[in-house]
Amino acid sequence: MNSSAESKTLLTFWGTRGSVSTPGRITEKYGGNTPCVTISHQDITIILDAGTGIRNLGLDLLREANGKGAPLTLHLFLSHTHWDHIQGLPFFQPAYREDTRLTIYGSSKKEKFLASVLKGQMDYEYFPVSMSALTADIRIQEMGKERIKLGPIEIELEEQVYHPAGSVRYGFNIYGKKIVFATDVELDLVFSQGRKSRKEKNHRDQYLAFIHGADLLIADGQFTEEEYAARIGWGHSSIPVILETASRAEVKQLAVFHHDPQHSDKFLDEIWLKYRTQYHAEGRGMDLFWAREGLTVAI
Amino acid sequence: MKSGEEQDGFTTTVEMVRTRFAETVPVRERAYLQILSPLERKRIIELGDSDIVIGRSPECDIRFIVENVSRKHARVFFHNEEFMIEDLDSTNGLFVNGIKIVRCALRNNDLIALGGVRLLFNEEKSLQPR
Repeated sequence: MNSSAESKTLLTFWGTRGSVSTPGRITEKYGGNTPCVTISHQDITIILDAGTGIRNLGLDLLREANGKGAPLTLHLFLSHTHWDHIQGLPFFQPAYREDTRLTIYGSSKKEKFLASVLKGQMDYEYFPVSMSALTADIRIQEMGKERIKLGPIEIELEEQVYHPAGSVRYGFNIYGKKIVFATDVELDLVFSQGRKSRKEKNHRDQYLAFIHGADLLIADGQFTEEEYAARIGWGHSSIPVILETASRAEVKQLAVFHHDPQHSDKFLDEIWLKYRTQYHAEGRGMDLFWAREGLTVAI
Repeated sequence: MKSGEEQDGFTTTVEMVRTRFAETVPVRERAYLQILSPLERKRIIELGDSDIVIGRSPECDIRFIVENVSRKHARVFFHNEEFMIEDLDSTNGLFVNGIKIVRCALRNNDLIALGGVRLLFNEEKSLQPR
């Protein structure tokens, strides 16, 4: 494998908003669509979560596929099945094409099978089209602790207990480069000051080991410190905690993700400037940005 | 209300043809790059449906003989009703608001950096058809 092929891993944000989609003038820069990210390497397309951002991704994939006349092979990894992470799936046009092959991955440690949860959101009580109308070749693969491999990409999963009904984080290793997708987790519960139980300390150490040295960490940073105080137990992290934790784990680049619906573009710009300056001034060497729809970076 | 009818001694209403309102709705967006650095260059680059390649090469649509700018450094193009910028495998990278990017949907007041060049993306509603 030559070095240029090794270096061509692209990551694109299609939806960065948490909880609920927030269209409008004050959110057009960072975007109003709920979570969806792609990792593209060679001919492998990995999709992270199926929030409303997946609708635009689907249209883009079809435009590209129609141009090439090629069927689509897609791998969708779900962090969990709360609405904002699956609600775009019924609007994902490639799923309505027979020549699309879509594998959906998620945790095996749920009370309900992943297939039944996805089918449930397309029940006629909630949506006019049933899941059986998705004519693509859809396979659902529940993941345990075992690593899976897609071409040169090694994928690992770890459970995150600090979110109502749980969630999972994924690590992607591609020729020594590491991308971590770790949204929807309340890190403040284990990383804040104060006494921690052995179990909490274990969870803290596991998280630090999982993200350690990541070339890019996409992480939940929904609340400011002040907002978090009134939202304990909601399953999301405060910005100062994720910044400190990522810095401590020697993460090279951090994308703060799952923006609160109340946070306008102006507000996100202001907090980005505040923290970016702070981290650069302190010479910690971690690059930091707020994830934004329509942005593609290379890893 | 009939044309010229007195209401309360202060106001009158004038009959309007609905299509006149439609004529005044801005339907196209004007977008342009403002050159912040180097200062001696023409200050505005209008953006339209055609791609614009930026770099040092004479083949580029916008040419900057400036330190750390590659021969063909970046391309600005219109895609899905929005303007995008992408890096053309430049040596020193393309930055939007300080973030090294490969491709980015541009938003009003985005600051673009390529080598020693600084460009500001502006977008505004326009009554003029493009």
